[in-house]
Amino acid sequence: MSVGTERSLGVYVYGVVPGDVELPEDASGVGAKPGEVEIVRHGEIAALTSEVPLDRPLGTPDDLYRHQSLLDATVAEVPVLPLRFGAVLTSTEAVVDELLAPHGEEFLAGLKELEGRVQYVVKGRYVEQAVLREVLEEVPEAARLREEIRDMDEDLARDVRIRLGELVGNAIAAKREADTRALLEAVAPVSLLRNVREPSHELDAVHLAFLVARDRQADLEQVAGEFADRWAGRVEFRLLGPMAAYDFIVSRKDGG
Amino acid sequence: MTVQPATGGMAGGPSPSGLADVIDTILDKGLVIDAYVRVSLIGIEILTIDARIVIAGVDTYLRFAEAVNRLDLSETKEPGLPEMVQSTKQGKVGGKSKDVVQGVLEAAGEKLHGFTDRTDERQETRRRRGKEH
Repeated sequence: MSVGTERSLGVYVYGVVPGDVELPEDASGVGAKPGEVEIVRHGEIAALTSEVPLDRPLGTPDDLYRHQSLLDATVAEVPVLPLRFGAVLTSTEAVVDELLAPHGEEFLAGLKELEGRVQYVVKGRYVEQAVLREVLEEVPEAARLREEIRDMDEDLARDVRIRLGELVGNAIAAKREADTRALLEAVAPVSLLRNVREPSHELDAVHLAFLVARDRQADLEQVAGEFADRWAGRVEFRLLGPMAAYDFIVSRKDGG
Repeated sequence: MTVQPATGGMAGGPSPSGLADVIDTILDKGLVIDAYVRVSLIGIEILTIDARIVIAGVDTYLRFAEAVNRLDLSETKEPGLPEMVQSTKQGKVGGKSKDVVQGVLEAAGEKLHGFTDRTDERQETRRRRGKEH
């Protein structure tokens, strides 16, 4: 038996799940030629994996969608410890020997903690015109600078523009903070954990993740719906989930 | 208990995830394999698509100023930063995840070229303005 020194296939790992997991029906792997999704078991836990060719980079939109949709379909049935996109090991044996076996207790404890819990993400983005009108009404200096610029030569106005833009940016940041606080307070009673995410866009109003018990999902959706109504016309509001608890899993400290 | 239909695109419950949403979640969050595995880890190349916008800085400020200036002044056609204006518009239709996906896909496809082109254009604009003095 000979083993080549050059590997052409690796084992992509999606996440860690309880050993009695069943695959979702339409499971599809990442990669240009998606490998079959497999369950690699070790005792009470298992890893969701598929083979990937190593000669091509990963990360096409399809790859990203498949990674998340496999984990989110799985979390509908059992708890899931999601791995960050892009984890590839040399072989199925390595998945057992280096991932599952040595860290089994830690993973099992994490899975128990996540039992019956799912994540939601709320994304709200200010409607530009609406939020700018609010700012001009609330910040007299911004309204004044806007008038000032109108009569100025464009080149000369650059510094004033920057000052105006900074005022607007600060005002939007303050609104983001206030709106985030309001939503956090409202969601606190129906959620277990909350994570304030970095804004991913300059017009972001709220960007939050919540860990919710399954029996409170309807409550969470109701609160989110109330905010979508309250902010109608000024914030485009979206609720994403339920999904795996990506935001609430912290890797162990790299102890060496 | 029901979710009230809302104008924000929330009617009937959660929205589908767009590509930008997926990126925010699975590229940044979750367990980091390096923290658990060393020997058998394969560092495969990952195409990264960064859909995020830097949210504080001169470019942002100029964009905000431009947007404020445009308010109620639809006929004003200021030169400069047209791509930026466009990307803001794309962001605005974010309630429909399809549009977001489209926008991000385009952005990803044009990432390298688009980025250098934009830089050149901006420099050109500045130079042109400089000459007018």
